[in-house]
Formats: sequence, structure tokens, C-alpha cells
Amino acid sequence: MNTNSANTDCANVNTNNVIVTRGLKKTYHDNGIPVEAVRGIDFTLTKGEFTAIIGPSGSGKTTFLNLMAGLDSPTDGEVELSGKLISSMSGKELSNYRRDHIGFIFQAYNLFPVLTVEENIEYIMLLQGIHKKERHERVMKILQQVEMEDYAHRLPSKLSGGQQQRVAVARAMVSRPKLIIADEPTANLDSRTSGDLLDMMKKLNEETCMTFLFSTHDEIVMKRARKVVTIRDGLLYNTDKSREE
Amino acid sequence: MGLISKLAWRNIFRQKRRTILTILTMTGGFVLSSLAIGWMEGSYGGMILFFTNHRTGQIQVHKDGYLDDPSIYDIIDDYESIGDQIEAIEDVRAWVPRIYTGALIASRAQDAPSGIYANSAAASVIGIDPAMEQNATDFSEQITDGRMLTASAADTSLRATGQILLGKELAITLNVAAGDSLILFSQAADGSGADRRYIVTGIVSTGNTELDRTTCYLTLADAQLLFALEGKVHELAVMTTSLGDVEKVTAEISAMTDSLGLSTASWKVFAKEFYNGMQADEASLKIMLAIIIAVAALGVLNTILMMVLERRREFGVMKAIGTQPKSIVKMIVLEANVMGLVSIVLGSILSTIGLLILSKHGMILDPPLDYGGFTFREMVASVTPGCYWIPAVCIMITASIVSLIPAVKAAHTDAAKSMRKV
Ligand SMILES: Nc1ncnc2c1ncn2[C@@H]1O[C@H](COP(=O)(O)OP(=O)(O)OP(=O)(O)O)[C@@H](O)[C@H]1O
Ligand SMILES: [Mg+2]
Repeated sequence: MNTNSANTDCANVNTNNVIVTRGLKKTYHDNGIPVEAVRGIDFTLTKGEFTAIIGPSGSGKTTFLNLMAGLDSPTDGEVELSGKLISSMSGKELSNYRRDHIGFIFQAYNLFPVLTVEENIEYIMLLQGIHKKERHERVMKILQQVEMEDYAHRLPSKLSGGQQQRVAVARAMVSRPKLIIADEPTANLDSRTSGDLLDMMKKLNEETCMTFLFSTHDEIVMKRARKVVTIRDGLLYNTDKSREE
Repeated sequence: MGLISKLAWRNIFRQKRRTILTILTMTGGFVLSSLAIGWMEGSYGGMILFFTNHRTGQIQVHKDGYLDDPSIYDIIDDYESIGDQIEAIEDVRAWVPRIYTGALIASRAQDAPSGIYANSAAASVIGIDPAMEQNATDFSEQITDGRMLTASAADTSLRATGQILLGKELAITLNVAAGDSLILFSQAADGSGADRRYIVTGIVSTGNTELDRTTCYLTLADAQLLFALEGKVHELAVMTTSLGDVEKVTAEISAMTDSLGLSTASWKVFAKEFYNGMQADEASLKIMLAIIIAVAALGVLNTILMMVLERRREFGVMKAIGTQPKSIVKMIVLEANVMGLVSIVLGSILSTIGLLILSKHGMILDPPLDYGGFTFREMVASVTPGCYWIPAVCIMITASIVSLIPAVKAAHTDAAKSMRKV
């Protein structure tokens, strides 16, 4: 497949690890009954990867992503981003960690309905205190990259699902995070839109060397991923990509 | 405009119906509080002024112990020089000297044969200085028939017959009208018997029926003559320029009179019942205000809680992408405060209209309200700064407190949980 061989310049920088988990565990308590959502995952993601996590419903994909994003705290084990342990961070540090290092793409887009496309993309940069001029330039550039430059002043409610998700991709990427986490980004989209979106993301991945990690049930995503790993019952398995196709 | 203010501002226009409901709730609270305050301040201000200007003055000076047990012998000597000193005090508008005694009055109609006195009654006698009274109180406005007393002639021989004003009900009891004559019997301060003939110059209607049934008025000079109290009075009544000056002026007069064996008291002391009644009413006003604000607060709390619940996922997203919890708190409190400000503007306009109507037209009291011995037939509101700033402060504090609880709740949204499938 040409998608498999398309790893361009990023291959050269594949040496540094973006995120590493060691013995990562998460146990929920559902009415007193312990639910082991993640049961000890060792995982490494290197710069520029475009990786999909697949697995049946309830296997622990969302939990695993949330642990890496610092949205949830592990019961055991550790998460290290660029050499820094996030388990030792305070609430405020975690908040800044997500703001500066993680880009989120959600299944339900989750753009702010009262903000225009441009303002939605600006949001994180405002939190980061980036100057107005630079904000504007970055917004315009990323809007071109996701082919949404004509919609800068629209409200999300006036966009299709696919368009909203493109804006969400732009929002996730504009702050130049180390890792973009996308939990089932295509689950609300039809297959053609999903394919277009993934092609666009893959192109951006190649252009920017930004690291992408998806969770998905979607064949369309799996096909385009450069690497696929499987979670089953809270444990991670490496998958032979060629078998998936 | 900052990011958080921008979000807060736009969120207000998001759920228009709920925003309008919240604003109307707060506006309603504002208007009700404002009208209640204006009404109370109007009626109290009116009552106090009515009460003190018609009769008592705002401050009184007596011989020590007179207020507890009034006696004809508790006199103020050299009252004119004390009065002059009082008048020199800043914020004193006027002062009047008075004599209080009692007498038996016997009357006969003008057409009855001389020497036949058909009616009699016991009465309180108040000696007043007509010219000073004219200047200080609106006493002369209460004369419904006949005319005010005139200064007594300096020549006592011309005062063979004195002038008297009768309370309306007293005149009825005695069956006399202006122009009739009557005789007062009493005992003078020197123990001698006192009796003299008077011509009724006018009838007084103070609005206080009890007072008008029992009181007659002589000129100060006539009273001093009848009761052998030349150069002496029982009371100095002092009028201040405004009610707000009373306490200060009372203290200044006290400092001056305490060494003379005299006591100085404000209307809050010498009209204790009246004052206590007002205090009780003021307490009930405060309770009423608290209830109005509490009801409004509950309404606002309810809508803000609903809003927070509906936007849970959004707060989750905000937190996920790195918004500090305190910014979320700020945003929601800001939303409530902006709605509070709008309510204050709206409420001020509506309250002004309401207060102006109530201050012009008032409320006719039927049956009339008896308060502190006076009868009030109409109550009007007055527009004071308190009608605005008290409700405004209440609304802003309420909006902040009431939104703080949902805001903190929103800020604590678990981002991971809020985004689990819905
Ligand atoms: N807050 C929670 N409390 C209790 N149990 C939870 C909680 N969150 C997740 N779980 C459980 O943890 C397990 C893993 O859930 P998770 O959402 O990570 O799975 P998933 O692979 O993302 O599933 P899906 O494909 O349906 O999104 C499930 O059994 C789920 O019921
Ligand atoms: Mg999931």
C-alpha cells in the first residue's frame, strides 16, 4: 500500500520518544465492584507516528488515551512525555501540560458553539498568551491546511460534521502540541468524509511531523494508520498491520 | 475583551429564554425591594416630619426628670438666653418655648345670659409663643376655624380677656365656636387660685383626636400670667434643618444644658412609643427584603444550576484543552453578574416609574392609620438613594453568591467523565 510507504522526513527523527507508558493500570470502581479498564500497558510512541489503537467496545481505549492525556490519573504505573513524568504533576501543571503538549480531537467535535471557527482555533493560543498577530497568522495558515479558510467567521452550528471535525483538527494542531490524541474521530462521520478527513490528517502528519494517536473501530482509519496496536481487556497487543488489510 | 469575558457575554445570548427569565427574576426582586424601601422611607420620613413638625420638635429640653414625671414646678429659668444659644448651633432651624399645665374650662354660648356656664371640661393647657410657633412649626396650618393667637399685649391691663385656641373635639364638648368666651380655673405655681376669661380665637385640628379632645392653647404670656410663671417655661422644643442632624444637635445641646440641671432628648427618647413602633416596622421591612431577595436568589440559582448541568460537556472540553478551573468559575460568575447589571438598569427604570407614581399619588388609607397618636390618611413613597443602592448591592451580591456554587461545580467537572458517550 502506498499509504504504508509514505513515511517521509519524519522517519529521520523517529529516534526520540514522544510518550512512554510503563506498567500503566487503571481500575475503576463501579458500585464497589472493581473494573480493571487498563491492566498494565507498556507503550512507546515516537515522534511523527500515525498510530491507531483498535479494540472491541469496553476494551479500555478511551481510558488509555485519557491516562496519556493527563485527563485521568493512573492507579499504577507511569506516563512520561518527553522525559517528564506526568503522574507527579499538580492539577495546574496538568492543565498546562494538556494546553501546551496535547491536542485533542473528539468524537463529537466539541467545538465551542458560541465561538466562530477562527475563535475556536484561537482559544488555546489565547490560553497560552500568544500575541494577536501571531494568533491570526497561525489561524489563517492552519485553516488553509484543513481547507476551511472560507469559513473562518462561521459558527460551528452552520458547518457539516466533517467540516466541524476539520476545525477540530485545526484547533488541536494550532498550538503545535507534541501529541495529538483523537478518540474515535470518525465515529460520527460517513465513510467518504472519514476517508477525506484521515487523508488530510495524514498529509498534515507528513508535513509537520506531528505525532498522532487514534482510537478507532473504523476500517477507514485502520487502513490509513501507519501502525496499528490492539487493546483487548485492558492489555495492549502489537498488530501485524498487513493482516488488517 | 478577554477570552473569558467574550465567552461569558456570548453565553448570555445563547439560551435567550433562560437569560430573560433570570433577568426578569432579578429585576422583579430589585423592583419589589426598591418600592418597599421607597414606601417605607416615604411613610417614615413623612411620619417623623409630620409628628415632630406639628408638635413636638425633633429635640426637647426640660428640667431633669420632667419627662418621667411632668410637674408644673419643673421649670426652665432664663429660657430665652438658653434658646438664643441653641439657635446659634449649626443645623438648628428654630426653637419654641412652651408651658404645660392643666385647667378646668367652663363655657357659655354667646347668646346665653351672662353668668350662665352650661358646659365644662378638664383640659391640658399649652402655652405657646404665636410668633415663634409660626416660624418653627406648621401649627397655624392646623387651625381650621377662626385664626391663630396673636402676641399678647405688653400692657397686662389690656389682657383682661385672653385668647384661647381649642382642640376640635374639646370645642364640641364645650359647645363653643370661634368668638365665644369661656373661663379657665386652675391653680397657679405659687399656690394661688387662677381663673380668667378667654375669647376663643380658633379651633385646632391636629389630626390626633386624643390630643384635640383634651388640649387648649394660650399665648405664652397669658399662660405665664395665669399660672404665675413669669419668665419661665417647661419645655424648649427644637427643630433641626433635617432629620439626619438630630443626633448631632442633641449632643451639642446636651453639652450646653447638662450643667444647668436640664435634660436634652431627641424624638427617639421623648416619643419612645412612636420610635419603637417604627423600629419594629423597620425590622419587618428587613425581613420582607430578605424574603424577596431569597426568592429571587432561589430562582436564579435554579436557572444557573440548570445551565451548568446542560453545559457540562463544554466545561469538560474547556478543562481538557487546558483551561484553568478558576477561569470557568470566573466565566459563570461573570455571566450572572452581567445579568445582574442588566437587571439593575432595568429595575432602576421600572422602580423610578413606580416610585414616582407612588410618591405623587400615594395610597389613601381607609380606614386611616393611627400611628403614634397621629392619624395618617395618606401614605406616599419617597425616592431616596437607598431605593437604588440597597437593591443594587443585594442583586450583585446575590448574583455572585448564587452563581458561585454552580460555578465551582462546573469548574470541578471531570473532563474524562463528561465526555464519555452520551
Ligand atoms: N468512570 C468509570 N467508572 C467505572 N467504569 C468505567 C469508567 N470508565 C470506564 N469504565 C469501564 O472501563 C472499561 C473500559 O472503558 P473504555 O471507555 O476505556 O473502553 P473503550 O475501549 O473506549 O470502549 P468504546 O469502544 O466503547 O469507546 C469499560 O468496561 C468501562 O465500562
Ligand atoms: Mg471509548
